[in-house]
Amino acid sequence: MGKLVLAKNITINYNDTQIIKPSSFSINSGDFVFLTGISGSGKTSLIKTLYAEHKIQSGEMYIGEFNLKKINKSKTSLLRKHLGVVFQDFKLISEWNIIKNVMLPLLITGIDKSNAKEMAMQYLNKVKLSHKADKFPFELSGGEQQRAAIARATIHNPVMILADEPISGLDEYSASLVMDLFIEANKLGITIVIASHSIPQNFDILFKQLHIEKGKIYELA
Amino acid sequence: MNSLKSHLTLVLSLIAILLSIFLFRIFSQVMHLYQKNIVNNYSIVIVSTKPITSLNISEISSINPININSEIKKLKEKYKNIDFSNLKIPFFYKLKLKNFPSPNKLQEIQKQLKNYDFIKKVMTKSSSQTKIYNLLILLKTTTKIFMFLIAILGFLLIIKQLEVWKLLHYERMYIMELFGAPVWFKGASLFKIAFLDSIISLILTMCLIFLITHSALFNNIINELNINFQLNYFNEIILLLITSFLISFISSVIVVIGKK
Ligand SMILES: Nc1ncnc2c1ncn2[C@@H]1O[C@H](COP(=O)(O)OP(=O)(O)OP(=O)(O)O)[C@@H](O)[C@H]1O
Ligand SMILES: [Mg+2]
Repeated sequence: MGKLVLAKNITINYNDTQIIKPSSFSINSGDFVFLTGISGSGKTSLIKTLYAEHKIQSGEMYIGEFNLKKINKSKTSLLRKHLGVVFQDFKLISEWNIIKNVMLPLLITGIDKSNAKEMAMQYLNKVKLSHKADKFPFELSGGEQQRAAIARATIHNPVMILADEPISGLDEYSASLVMDLFIEANKLGITIVIASHSIPQNFDILFKQLHIEKGKIYELA
Repeated sequence: MNSLKSHLTLVLSLIAILLSIFLFRIFSQVMHLYQKNIVNNYSIVIVSTKPITSLNISEISSINPININSEIKKLKEKYKNIDFSNLKIPFFYKLKLKNFPSPNKLQEIQKQLKNYDFIKKVMTKSSSQTKIYNLLILLKTTTKIFMFLIAILGFLLIIKQLEVWKLLHYERMYIMELFGAPVWFKGASLFKIAFLDSIISLILTMCLIFLITHSALFNNIINELNINFQLNYFNEIILLLITSFLISFISSVIVVIGKK
């Protein structure tokens, strides 16, 4: 399969502090990737560069045709429509109820409300949250919010899902529910990138590991 | 509660701005009509030894001869023993001015008229109208300043409201942006609020305008001034509509496009 993400000698900075030293890696389209590293190693930062919220300092990075070094506003919007991001802090819209939150990516692509609502209900079902559809984010537990965020990240059939610690707050049952959702999406050809402290036990499908250690990204087979 | 408060701020500011624009226009219009009115009624009478068709004074808009034949006829009947045919009867003229003269201007015109040696006498009207006129000028200036200040205050309030809106809507718009939402999508709800608020303000302002223009006080003043004042409601509504939409639309665009 073709390369979806290509990073050559990229560095990531916050002002003068270098978080990632020159590193190279690639992700093939259809890959299931675990991005590992200890807390503060730069997993979230790398994911932020992938959805063009933070620019790389040097080197080159591409997602498909998109050159992340010189991406403009309209290209950024276009790229993001093809991504599904699960943020470490969920980022649900607090004044919207859960079902509307899950509908968001569909509404942005212009799908009409009633269809979007129907699909959102299906996805809430998949994460076992349909009974909370009309609740607001603050009425949900952390794990429930996380599952809502995952439903939102998968509903629009993105090319790649970027999930930042999607199972860290979940119990075993919910965690396996969510992992199954990612595996199912991956089987449909969606590339999955999951940032996590560690790789879950008894994870039995083929995956690729990107590991960040002491500021460098290593590609482990 | 919070959203009601934010509606209220925008609506009140818009009403203040719209109403001051309207009152400003009404006032200018009334003043203009009144000015025209008193200029029309104001005249200087001169007595000349020879016929005049034009005078080289820029202030003068027209020179109209005063027909004194009937007066002379009356005189002739009264004083039958006087031979009027030998009498040299002077020419009387009524001069109209282009603008209502200030006292200084009037003096100047009088002086200019007296410089012509064939003009024997210049008669001007009493100064009571001048006093009213000066009072009106003063009123006009202060009202304009006052309206201007109210409009400025309205704008400041709107700017303040924008900051509140930014805080209120920033998070949601940011999350939408993370999913690739275009500007119109991010701003949709703000645009809706702004649209609604401008409609509400417009309606309320129109109600106030209706109350003002139909009040006894307003109509008494118009009658006192003896002017033919007619309000073109349609034009006023269109003007206020455009103003209201523009202000609220620009405000919401500033919030949507601006950074936190
Ligand atoms: N906006 C920021 N400005 C400055 N420094 C930042 C910013 N965000 C993150 N950092 C720093 O970058 C480093 C990497 O942070 P990052 O959030 O990417 O780590 P992480 O691997 O996701 O950690 P965790 O597992 O705890 O989520 C940290 O040392 C952090 O302090
Ligand atoms: Mg992180």
